[in-house]
Amino acid sequence: MSSASLSPHIPDLDLITYYAERKDSLFTRVSPWTKACLLVCIVVLVTVIRDPAWLLGLYIIVLLLYLTAGLPAGKLVQWYAIPILFVVSLAGLMIWSVPGTPLYAWTAGSFTLALSDNGLLLLLTLLIKAIITVTFSLFFLMTTRYAHFAGLISRVFPAPLDQIFLLAYRFLFLTLAMTASLLKSVRSRGGGLARSLRTQGRVFAGVSALVFIRSFERGERVDKAMTSRGFTGKYPLSGDVPRPGFPEYGLLVVSGAVVLAVVLASPFLGW
Amino acid sequence: MTIIRRSPEAPHCPPLDRDRELIHVDCASHTYPDGSVGIHDMCFHVLKNEIVAICGPNGSGKSTLIEHLNGLLLPAKGSIWVNGRIITGGAQGGLWKEVGVVFQRSDDQLFAPTVLDDVMFGPLNLGLEPDEARARAMEALRAVGAADLVDKIPNYLSGGQKRLISIAGILAMKPMVIAMDEPTSDLDPVHVAIIENIIVGLKEKHGISVVIATHDMDLAARIADRVCLVRNGAVFAEGLPEEVFYDPALIAEAGLHLPAPVQAYLDLCQTSGIAPAARPLKTEDLVAVLGAIISGRHTGS
Repeated sequence: MSSASLSPHIPDLDLITYYAERKDSLFTRVSPWTKACLLVCIVVLVTVIRDPAWLLGLYIIVLLLYLTAGLPAGKLVQWYAIPILFVVSLAGLMIWSVPGTPLYAWTAGSFTLALSDNGLLLLLTLLIKAIITVTFSLFFLMTTRYAHFAGLISRVFPAPLDQIFLLAYRFLFLTLAMTASLLKSVRSRGGGLARSLRTQGRVFAGVSALVFIRSFERGERVDKAMTSRGFTGKYPLSGDVPRPGFPEYGLLVVSGAVVLAVVLASPFLGW
Repeated sequence: MTIIRRSPEAPHCPPLDRDRELIHVDCASHTYPDGSVGIHDMCFHVLKNEIVAICGPNGSGKSTLIEHLNGLLLPAKGSIWVNGRIITGGAQGGLWKEVGVVFQRSDDQLFAPTVLDDVMFGPLNLGLEPDEARARAMEALRAVGAADLVDKIPNYLSGGQKRLISIAGILAMKPMVIAMDEPTSDLDPVHVAIIENIIVGLKEKHGISVVIATHDMDLAARIADRVCLVRNGAVFAEGLPEEVFYDPALIAEAGLHLPAPVQAYLDLCQTSGIAPAARPLKTEDLVAVLGAIISGRHTGS
């Protein structure tokens, strides 16, 4: 079962796997090491840069990479819903206390809440930062074969952290499949996520808990099936992670230089 | 071979055929942590180059027995011998190389991102180099007629295709015995026929013994060389299919139904007053017998 049936706004792990394993593009041939290093560069840049114009420029570059790789643009827009909700839920309160030119004020007695231009700018900045990271992470996952991804993780993280990471990633597939199955069952009998929550909250909470229990049970069965084929706690790797080619080293040097320059220049740019 | 009835009081079950015996489960018992009995004084044998069907209703201990054959579970009492080697606590390591298990639900078995990765999982655990594991996986996929699915994402496959991949994942490890838990459950008739052909092919082309746990009596009648009837966690009777399935009282005792061709033939014999001399197990055997009866009547013989 695909997690696509769960909600169009939850990244469909099977679709991500499909793109990673089946699609061929320039970027699927780029070494996972290169893409992982670029991801680190992106995270550093997103952390340092505070100017929305610069962030917008970075977002356009990342988006172009995503689109050039032939990845689905429509899905990306739908998948933005969760990071946007996440940022809004965190920054939604913060923006009311940021000093600046007030755009809107709400007063109750002696208490005043004011939304300033800087508050809105903060929200915008955080939103762009979130979608840059999400877009590049999806680009990375959708252009990297799982075997290479697993190889990369097992070299970056020490045991047993690498195994925990990889199995947790696969366990996510099970949990989403179970949740999709539950929602299908609820919808088939006239229920709905919001409606069931409102009218049958307790039952729905119990059923939601069951999702995790069932996922755990299914995880146990999967473990049993793996053990029956000789799994002893170390996921076998089916190949080496391709090393970066000469041009990729060039790209990494340039990217590293850009990141370094931005980091060094950030105090002078008022960041 | 005549029907062997097992006494629950017998302390040991002797080997069935010392020269051909691959697995010998000798009065093994297993109780789950909640106290429910999985198997109790279970006696079971797998011989070289045979298809043995474990038939019993739900909860009779079929799946628990299958997990013992692979070392996933160990008997609390009794013993299991595989290829002359006793399997005890701590010594079960490596049993998975000799006995593969195809689980009832393919979704539990297929966990890798692609079909190829999944089928390669076992060979890689055997310590094969990736190239060799890949070759083994391709060979297994070709053997089950699923080579065209090699790059597919398991989650997008149909139930029948998933079952084929599950079998390929075990076949790629080249075990001497493959145990299948309800191999045809939830499949359409076309895929049931495909799986049946694969099971027969495993024995005839690859020399692999196959254990099938099933309550599909028609399937057991069509392909099994030997049938073991299970009830309350123990094999209580076993024998050749034509003997076991032509003993309605025994089948009823097991809580099962006769295979459809057997039931049809016995009903016909009863209503027509014919002595059930032949013992057709498959539809084609039944048709041949009926043809002979009809032509005999036409010629007046």
